[in-house]
Amino acid sequence: MKVTTRLRISTLALAGSLAMTGCISSGGNEGGSDDTITIGISLPLTGDFSEPGKGVERGYEAWAQYVNDNGGLLGKQVELKILDDQSNADRVASDYEKLINQDGVDLVFGPFSTRLVVPAAQVAQDYGFLFVEPAGAAPEVFEQGFDNLFYAAPAVADDHYDHLADYIEAMPADQRPKTAAYATMDDPFAQGTAYGLKDRLEEMGVRTVADEVYPPNTTDFSSIAAKVADTNADIMVGGTQYQDAVNLIIALQQLNYQPKMAAFSTAPTNPEFPEAIGAKTEGILSPTGYTPDADWPSNVEFVEFYTELHGNPPGEDEANAWTTGQVVAAAVEAAECADPSEECQQELIDWLHGNQVDTVVGPLSWDEAGRPQSAHMIQQYVDGKIRIVLPEEQAEAEIIPVKPAW
Amino acid sequence: MPSDSEVRRGSVLITTLKIVGVLVLAAAVLSFPSVAGNAFILSVGVVIMSYAVLATSWNFVGGFTGYMSLGHAAYSGLGAYGTGLIVIHTDINPWVALGLSGLLVAVLAVPVGIASLRVRGASFVIVSIAMVLILLLVFQSWGEVTGGSNGLRVPRPFGPEVLRPEQHERFFYLHAALLATALLVWWLIDRSRFGIGLKAVREDEDKAQALGVPTFNYKLVAFVVSAFFTALGGGLYALWFGFLDPIFQFSILVGSYMVLMSLLGGIRSLFGPLLGAVIVGYALEFFKAEYGDTQFHLVALGLLLAIVVLFMPDGIIPALTQLARRFAPQASSIREMTAADLAERRRDADADADGSSEENNGTEHHVTEGARS
Amino acid sequence: MSLLIQSIVLGLLLGGLYALLAAGLTLYFGVMRVVMIAHSAFLILAAYLAWFFSTETGLDPLLSLLVTVPLFFLIGVGMQRLLISRLRPATMTMMSVLLTFAIALTIEGLLGYVFTGTQRRVRLSYGGGDFEVFGANIAVVKLIAFGLAAVSLLVLYLVLTRTRFGQALRATIQHPEAARLVGINTDRIAGYGFGIGLATAAVGGTALSLDSTIYPSLHWHWIGPLMAIIVVGGLGSIPGAAIAAMVLGLGQSLLQIPLGTTWAQTFFYLALFATLMVRPQGFFGGRLAQRF
Repeated sequence: MKVTTRLRISTLALAGSLAMTGCISSGGNEGGSDDTITIGISLPLTGDFSEPGKGVERGYEAWAQYVNDNGGLLGKQVELKILDDQSNADRVASDYEKLINQDGVDLVFGPFSTRLVVPAAQVAQDYGFLFVEPAGAAPEVFEQGFDNLFYAAPAVADDHYDHLADYIEAMPADQRPKTAAYATMDDPFAQGTAYGLKDRLEEMGVRTVADEVYPPNTTDFSSIAAKVADTNADIMVGGTQYQDAVNLIIALQQLNYQPKMAAFSTAPTNPEFPEAIGAKTEGILSPTGYTPDADWPSNVEFVEFYTELHGNPPGEDEANAWTTGQVVAAAVEAAECADPSEECQQELIDWLHGNQVDTVVGPLSWDEAGRPQSAHMIQQYVDGKIRIVLPEEQAEAEIIPVKPAW
Repeated sequence: MPSDSEVRRGSVLITTLKIVGVLVLAAAVLSFPSVAGNAFILSVGVVIMSYAVLATSWNFVGGFTGYMSLGHAAYSGLGAYGTGLIVIHTDINPWVALGLSGLLVAVLAVPVGIASLRVRGASFVIVSIAMVLILLLVFQSWGEVTGGSNGLRVPRPFGPEVLRPEQHERFFYLHAALLATALLVWWLIDRSRFGIGLKAVREDEDKAQALGVPTFNYKLVAFVVSAFFTALGGGLYALWFGFLDPIFQFSILVGSYMVLMSLLGGIRSLFGPLLGAVIVGYALEFFKAEYGDTQFHLVALGLLLAIVVLFMPDGIIPALTQLARRFAPQASSIREMTAADLAERRRDADADADGSSEENNGTEHHVTEGARS
Repeated sequence: MSLLIQSIVLGLLLGGLYALLAAGLTLYFGVMRVVMIAHSAFLILAAYLAWFFSTETGLDPLLSLLVTVPLFFLIGVGMQRLLISRLRPATMTMMSVLLTFAIALTIEGLLGYVFTGTQRRVRLSYGGGDFEVFGANIAVVKLIAFGLAAVSLLVLYLVLTRTRFGQALRATIQHPEAARLVGINTDRIAGYGFGIGLATAAVGGTALSLDSTIYPSLHWHWIGPLMAIIVVGGLGSIPGAAIAAMVLGLGQSLLQIPLGTTWAQTFFYLALFATLMVRPQGFFGGRLAQRF
């Protein structure tokens, strides 16, 4: 009796699982109709990367609305299909698998974060899709042999500080910082930015006196700050995302450490940053790929459109998403096709390898691995506002060479 | 309780039904790739199969000994990284690398098992969680070897001419084969003297020890076998997925999925973890599709686990079996027994010398089941 | 040299918070043989409540204690009476782990649902403030957190040693059957014990919110070290947990100097494994550990 029931249940389970297959597959091929172009995207809308993920989502949606308001792409309306990958690498691959196979999307856009870009790009590559991504700047992304991948921002992570390094190099030798302290999150992107600058500084003889790496989930920065403060380095470089930079800076303030220069990636460009660290921002440096004030023709339109939509100017995540849209759109218009077929996707890929695209972050072109060939600007808090200070031709304010006490 | 002659009379029929049932199950699994509408569904199938392998592997220790490890992701993660690193750094055939990695993890599981099985219950769970957390730290920090937080790309075992949907299909069958092996071993242990000893540990470790069961060695062997299969499952997944990130490999959530699946299906049943994996795997897809951009999927997972623990700790299969029994008049359910019957049964059970005389209904029922099989 | 002193100070300040939280965790185990995985999830919940309270009202987050401590005590009693006590005694330890794990997931999911995954931090006017003692800088917020933890531990100690309830609680921990025989209502005592344990999470969470960023999945970061602490200290032993917390907190802080943050975190787990190999019952008298 016992055994037979067990059997019956197994059979039931089996029937159930087959029925479920049906359920998963219902929903079917919505994309691919002739008057719309469906674009599949997976984004971390929940989980650890949800904050920037939502920014990218806003950028994508604004772009799609803008395109549709202005006659669409190849005369067709653009429709976005956005899935949530829960900040999980297994999910992101499965999402693109779904978008491409089941939803029959015509094009795909990239997800957010280096950690998710590689598995996602693999899926796109296997199906021959063009893969333009708004966030995956770590050098490793471009060393994986993907020929379908393009990063839609001015520069890869290790080049973010190039202008600052040039500036320091140009200083008279006796005014240059002698020692440098680095504290970076164990994250390919954040670390890439700081180590890019570290390599340049070490080349010009700036001694590294502290090099701290902390896991992404670190919340207590007092010990790291203690080690940095103990070196009393002239320049403090933080390879940071957002909240870790805030915590690190507060911990450094608690220890009353006053570097002559302090540079942090990502966080200082966030509008909430000054309030979060108690308005002691003066002189803090940060690289950025984007500024709403840039006078590239498309950027003026972008900022105007976005500000009208959301009531505030776009940030870097939104801009990178918009740039992704612009890059793909340029390829689509040049190749005059937007369908999942291998020929079309290959045409799009080939076109991007050979051409330059004008975007909201300036003109972009790529090397064979998809590395963009421009540079990031350097921003600094001057008189309480974040301004571009490097390179000089784009500067909005004079750089403050020695950071006031925080 | 059916008499001996009744059992014997029914046994031929039961065996036939058993074989037919297993064949039907196998046929259904094998035909899945041709039924699956597209490559995405096939890939979901691979994921569910992978869950089933992991849950069944977990059940070697969870089901037989009752030791609930929340940290089996440690072994699947190690198996995955082991396979990946061997494939990357040597010329060894990927399938040999997979086996090798499984063996390495099994060897590694010996000291871990010794440390954590010496103490019962609470400390075992704590160690299992600690294992995952420590490995996460090590694999993140030791970047030169493991790729750290950049992740590790594992080369494909099949050449580029094998397209992605074809890959999914092959890996579906490979996972199915591994699952079948794990189920077979589980079944063999279940029938063996070793298995009865393990179940005695589960029901009452002190009594089992008093009765001469070498409890520690038994537990250790079960633990190592479990780690071995879990590592193979992790390694096979690594070869399929092709990208490893410590955060997702050494995740407590993955370990908790294994527990939930096994518990939901029924840890004392051969096919319990498989059933649980299908249900949970499907539920995860469903929750994500329905409540995609909220954290609701965590709440759903938490509530589901709580419901299972509180209301059906024996899982679906035993719960349904009991339900079916209640409606089948010829079957005698333990719940219908009088106190006198129970007392007699208890004497029988003691005579069987496999352990327990707990008053607890569930326990009683399962000890006899073990003795009968 | 100043780095060493600084690290010792930081280690002691951190250890204080660990001690309070570990005391709560070991208390559950003592009274109920329950490994309460959700302890740190409640910790984060309390921190969120403190943050929410402070951003909504503009008042100091410490004031939220007036609400969260009694609230958590009641939740704790309710949890023990309604959920934990439903489990079969034979599989109590294992099943309670799974049940509290489920509760932790639910709390994490609900926090993410309500407050999103955005990292939050209470903004305090004295957030970056510090003063110097013996060449070490002590942050004001860290000292407040430490003080809060120390006072709570002292109160807990006094309750356990000086009151009739405390005696009954300790009797229940040491020998539940005997406690029942001398007329102690162990069920009710266990409920209160659970409530007190959870109340420590409320205090700890508020202290945490002063000087740390919070996000829903943060509790995983805390539960590992806390569990290691209670095993090293001896399961069920409150003084053991407090001493182990101070020692391990200090050790982690000092090890960060040569090893860096990540490797220093492994110290807790190495201590855990070493304890199980050398002295499975823990270093401070936890007679219970071996058996459960």
